[in-house]
Amino acid sequence: MRRLSLYVKLQQLEEITLLRDILLIYGLFAIYYVMSVNVIYFSVLALSFKNIWTVYRRSVFSKFNTLAGSDLVPSVSLLVPAYNEEVTIIENVRCLMTLNYPNYEVIVINDGSSDDTLEVLTTEFNLTKLTNPEMRNSIDCTAVTGVFYNPEFPNLYVIDKGNGGKADSLNAGINLSHYPLISSIDADSLLEKDALIRMARQYMENPEETVAIGGDVRIANGCLIENGQVKDFSLPNKMWPMFQAIEYLKAFLGGRIGWSSINGLIIVSGAFGLFRKDYVIAVGGYRGGYPGEDMNIIIKLHRYMLENKLKYRIAFCPEAVCWTQAPESYRILASQRQRWGRGNLKNMIENYDMAFNPKYKVMGLMTMPYNIIFEALNPYFKITGLIALVGYVMLDMTQWKILLVFGLINFLSGYLFSIGALILEEIAFKRFIKISDLWKMLFYGAAKFFGYSQLGTLWRIQGHIQFLRNNNSWGAMTRQSWKEKSDTAKSA
Amino acid sequence: MFSHVTVAIYFVYVCLGLIGLGIALLFYMKLKHLSTLKKTEYYQRKHQDYFKYLQTQLYEDQELPLPPGKLVPLEKRIIQDKLMEWIEQFKGEVRTRVIELCYKAGFVDDEMEKLDSLYFSRRVEASYRLGMMRATEATPRLLDMLRKQRYSPVTTIIGRAVSKTADQESQLMEMLGYMLKHGKSIHNLAADVLLETRLDSSKILLQLLDHENPDFVKVALVAMWGQAVPEVIPALNRLSVDADEQDVRAEAVKLYLSSNPVLRDDTIKQLMSDSNWEVRAAVAKSLGNMHAAGSIPLLRRAMQDENWWVRNNSAESLAQLGETGFELLCETAQRGSGLERETALFHIEKVMSEGSDHRALDQMVTFNKKRLIYDRYFGVIETSKPVRKVAAVGGDYSA
Repeated sequence: MRRLSLYVKLQQLEEITLLRDILLIYGLFAIYYVMSVNVIYFSVLALSFKNIWTVYRRSVFSKFNTLAGSDLVPSVSLLVPAYNEEVTIIENVRCLMTLNYPNYEVIVINDGSSDDTLEVLTTEFNLTKLTNPEMRNSIDCTAVTGVFYNPEFPNLYVIDKGNGGKADSLNAGINLSHYPLISSIDADSLLEKDALIRMARQYMENPEETVAIGGDVRIANGCLIENGQVKDFSLPNKMWPMFQAIEYLKAFLGGRIGWSSINGLIIVSGAFGLFRKDYVIAVGGYRGGYPGEDMNIIIKLHRYMLENKLKYRIAFCPEAVCWTQAPESYRILASQRQRWGRGNLKNMIENYDMAFNPKYKVMGLMTMPYNIIFEALNPYFKITGLIALVGYVMLDMTQWKILLVFGLINFLSGYLFSIGALILEEIAFKRFIKISDLWKMLFYGAAKFFGYSQLGTLWRIQGHIQFLRNNNSWGAMTRQSWKEKSDTAKSA
Repeated sequence: MFSHVTVAIYFVYVCLGLIGLGIALLFYMKLKHLSTLKKTEYYQRKHQDYFKYLQTQLYEDQELPLPPGKLVPLEKRIIQDKLMEWIEQFKGEVRTRVIELCYKAGFVDDEMEKLDSLYFSRRVEASYRLGMMRATEATPRLLDMLRKQRYSPVTTIIGRAVSKTADQESQLMEMLGYMLKHGKSIHNLAADVLLETRLDSSKILLQLLDHENPDFVKVALVAMWGQAVPEVIPALNRLSVDADEQDVRAEAVKLYLSSNPVLRDDTIKQLMSDSNWEVRAAVAKSLGNMHAAGSIPLLRRAMQDENWWVRNNSAESLAQLGETGFELLCETAQRGSGLERETALFHIEKVMSEGSDHRALDQMVTFNKKRLIYDRYFGVIETSKPVRKVAAVGGDYSA
């Protein structure tokens, strides 16, 4: 009996030793993981700092008044997919129709809305159905039920089609578009008047190699909006949009300026981007069926250009700004982030062959590995890291000091990145004037690591579960009229 | 393990230090910016009367007065900005007077000094400002900067400054050479920069059209869009036929046709069978404008072209070529197939929907004739009942 109990104890001891070894190895791995992610973050941030001066010079020392009236600027088709956007669509279309740009058309694609999106558009602009609209059918899409037009607004077309998703709507828009450049714009977003001309200028600097340009997306909640224009820049008053404002600033200024400088940009935000139509058609247009079509089209463009050994660049134009409504409630924000999680995972699974493949240059050796290891799989490392921490404490393998140092490194390096993004904003744009705005951004930049960041992990995992369950729905999304938003901002 | 923790603690300290520095820098930048904004507002108010007075004197013979009193750098900058704004707005004598005032106030000298600055940003800003003030003597220095500059957005900023300050055509040629030497196809941007010049652009464009460098020719061709320069027509005619580079020829043809020239039948035939779709599309479009009824059979054939623009322009031209052209469209819509049929249907509907709005008698008569043809082919219909659409089969990848 005693021998048996000794044997059991020995067995337990061996198991504990094994567990300790595993935890120790994992601990070392986690340290290198955190170190690697920080090295990548700060390298990208350093690249952003290197390039911010070019952005600044380009934006300050270029006058757009001559270019905005010139025939030398390429013509652009603006594609605006709209699903249940009756509240905001008129103001957005009006905003788009008054851009400082010489030659462009606006194509709104009503994606089988169940509300009155189509009716409000046809009534407002007195549109009538074209009997034989000339769709070029370059890309497959859900059947178009009608194209609406009014010669009094010669640059506005409205396509009505069955519900097929955002990607499908963009494909339908491409089929009708008449110009060599297309720009995708979300129906809940407002473009600054000079946004398109700034982007076109960047395109004109290297038209042969530029296949796509991304714009800077900013949060409009809290801003004063009049006649489809942001009149007064201000930060959101509510907590959820405020966290997102910081997040967008970090991602766009801290991240995308740097990634674009090495041609490693993996996404051009669906809210505002400019594309060469011939290449979008060459890669088969936007992929439907899953969210994340904005990332997917960029990956496909990278793949196509690299496989065909064509010289190219996917650029980012931070001075071309698009203002968007950020979700204000937990439910809608969670749904949006789960959708992004699903889209990201789908794109990574579909294109895993590009990772670590030297044939795909920066994309294969840096962007894809980074996105798979440090973006798609990040939540699992966080969760296992947390479990390991519990293990260290239970097996008495660590001290509170070490835990504190580890936690501090995570928080401080992330916060330092936020500060970096704020400095970039202050160097090149200075959009938020008030001192109180700076305090607010510094506070939320820190506060996001205590709860919001963890929720992000949870939402991403939920998105992955939905992906495995084949849940492809777009999720909940509600719209608020820009006027209402503006009234709220005024009264705040 | 201890050493790892020590390194980690050092890292924490470094992060804390950098965060502290970053926050301090942020507040410094913000406060400085706020203070500049405040002072700018103050100085703008202070010099409001001076600006008003200048405006009243712009058209007088008297010399424009210098800004009053001793000026701090920010005040100088505000006044300079206002004068630069006026230089952009005005032309002729008034602009020259404002430029002279910039010289007299020492703004040009200040910026010339900054061209020697150790800081790249200051040199770029100075070149921008010298360009805005049309400072002729800065051109050689700017050209030197442009020559040494690797290709970036700054190339355009300096190129534009050269174009604004240049007082000799050779300087513009040199500027174009430096902008185009990087091998980027920036002809549209280069043309836009070139057209900023104060010199006679038609003379320069003629020179460019005869240049041995095809890039220069392309810049000239795109620069001429929307400009009526009769002197260049012979050169365009020559390029339309002789140019080796396909895109040069296509641009030349488009431009040449936009001047509504009289074309011989064999020239039309030759151009309509050109291998470049842009040439075919441009010719197809111009045939309608030229009312070249003799080319109806060519247009009919072009409606089967593989390229959308060629088909579309041909149908549009047929619709413009009276009853014969319109009848051919109706025939194609009824007896043709595939993409040519779709194109014909679209243009017939376009004519029918636009036609009912005609107010003038002759237009109404023409429309009614077309309507009779329409009724003959598709039956008499009440108001504007549409022709049934035929769904497209396959895809058209020429768009």
